Amino acid sequence: MSRYLLMRFLLMFPTLLGVAVVIFVLIRVIPGDVVELRLAGDRGAVSEQVLNQERARFGLDKPVWQQFATWMWGLLRFDFGTSMWTGAPIGQEIKLRFALSFQVAVMATIVAVLLAIPLGVIAALKQDTWVDYTVRIFSIAGLACPSFWLGIVFILTLLVVFKWLPPMVYTPLWVNPWQNLQQLIWPALAVGYRYSAVATRMTRSAMLEVLREDYIRTARAKGLWQSLILSRHALKNAMLPVLTVIAVEFAFLIGGLVVTEQVFNLNGIGLLFVQAVAHRDYTLIQALTMLVAGFFIVVNFLMDIAYAWLDPRIRYR
Amino acid sequence: MAVARPVDPLELETPSALGRWAAAAAEFCRQRPLGAIGAGAILFLFVVAALAPVISAYDPLAVHFDAMLARPSALHWLGTDAFGRDVLARLIYGSRTALLVGFGSAIVGAALGTILGVGSAYFGGRVDLYLQRLMDVFLSFPLIVLALALVAILGNSVPNVIAAITVPMVPRCALVIRASALSIREMPYVDAARAAGFGHARIILRHMLPNVMAPFLIMLTAFLGQAILLEASLSFLGLGVQEPTAAWGLMLRGAAVDFAEAAPWMAIFPGLAISFAVFAFNLFGDSLRDALDPKLRTQ
Repeated sequence: MSRYLLMRFLLMFPTLLGVAVVIFVLIRVIPGDVVELRLAGDRGAVSEQVLNQERARFGLDKPVWQQFATWMWGLLRFDFGTSMWTGAPIGQEIKLRFALSFQVAVMATIVAVLLAIPLGVIAALKQDTWVDYTVRIFSIAGLACPSFWLGIVFILTLLVVFKWLPPMVYTPLWVNPWQNLQQLIWPALAVGYRYSAVATRMTRSAMLEVLREDYIRTARAKGLWQSLILSRHALKNAMLPVLTVIAVEFAFLIGGLVVTEQVFNLNGIGLLFVQAVAHRDYTLIQALTMLVAGFFIVVNFLMDIAYAWLDPRIRYR
Repeated sequence: MAVARPVDPLELETPSALGRWAAAAAEFCRQRPLGAIGAGAILFLFVVAALAPVISAYDPLAVHFDAMLARPSALHWLGTDAFGRDVLARLIYGSRTALLVGFGSAIVGAALGTILGVGSAYFGGRVDLYLQRLMDVFLSFPLIVLALALVAILGNSVPNVIAAITVPMVPRCALVIRASALSIREMPYVDAARAAGFGHARIILRHMLPNVMAPFLIMLTAFLGQAILLEASLSFLGLGVQEPTAAWGLMLRGAAVDFAEAAPWMAIFPGLAISFAVFAFNLFGDSLRDALDPKLRTQ
């Protein structure tokens, strides 16, 4: 067990390093360089002197390997450099916004789980009936609806039907929970619906597989209540793949937030990323992509640990 | 002259290709009505895109300052936007953008992924190991984050948007194709081809590729919906297709949100169009997957 975990832990680092190299190279293969591209985009001609000054400010005048070493050393100390746009330390910018995005992500996950597991189980139990088809269409529609459009529709409905708009200014959860939830439940619903689609289908197919197992038939044969069979025997065994999907989607949730935060005007990590791209703030893009990919890799690792813990077959291998 | 040449099993088949396809299509429609509905919707989109100039009563770029934010009426069926441009015309022409970007990136992405996947499985060993690690790295980025980063680097013209959407799809496709190519590599006919002295290129092209057609088609249809959605997202953020091109995501940007209460048609119809298109591709792709490869059904 500990050997497996150690191996899995060590394997994380080549991937992280690879991610860092890819991002680093991508930003530097641009014809011209980032400083030139950014300044030229803003205001016609910029003197060579200003360009050199800017390059020196971001250390772009140093040899490439040295730039990479500096960046790596910074990452190890959670120092992401300074933003090209605001001039503020990137760590600071991210810290300001992290709580909001994380809260929406967690709420969206809760929405997704609450939708996916009951729907998936019902669809599996009523396989090939209209219930199954309805759930299937509901989940495929969840994948088809852009979450930003869903957000617009939510706002519109609230406005037209209830003559009410969610608060537009962010209040942290610990300051005023009610105000906070009123604002964040809508983006969480918009993102969570899409998120639930994949999990619903996974729950359905995992349940279908488990329901055909011998031990379910045995449980039925000995006259166990259906609800007990479902919760104790079937659901417990079907949860592993569902858990994987939920974890993977959680790690990628930032993707959904990128567009949804724009709609609800939430100043989170997603909006920061979009602004970074719009302003061609390459140091910020570099830091954020690294952070997102790093987050994914770490969640994957934690997932494997959870797997080993939940599934004895992996633990004793 | 061809007597001494080793006989390729593919050349022995003499089917009437068209008849076989038609039969397969009929079978598909009969067994999977939902998939057939999806296919019908896709066909409808194609017809709309192809006949856009014929169907559309207005030029999608024409600005009518006398009819800004007009409600849906007999004149403008779905109303007009903040510049007085006909929403229906922009929806019709927007289907061209969606299909162009969707097909462009899905076909290139799935093709490159297939080549990498098959190559990785066929050559195995070091090549496989390094390619897999590289794929792992690219798979650590969410689709939209990598696409956005690429747009920031490449700039946002239509070909660049297609490229930015293609890149994140390649490793996802390669992963799936490699898995099925691994089992094909062990097939006796591949051994036979190797024993007959065929080169790598021929074995890959004539013996491996035709047999990964099923996962290739599955990935292709899955990517189509995703690519359309991704293009809409990028355009909505102002980082994809640029004004004044008619694109669904772009129609939802800016004014559509600002005027959502006064002119809800601007916000509702483009979203419906995106959902309709993606829904159609997903429905079709889903059924295609069930029909072609029951093993993949759980994914």
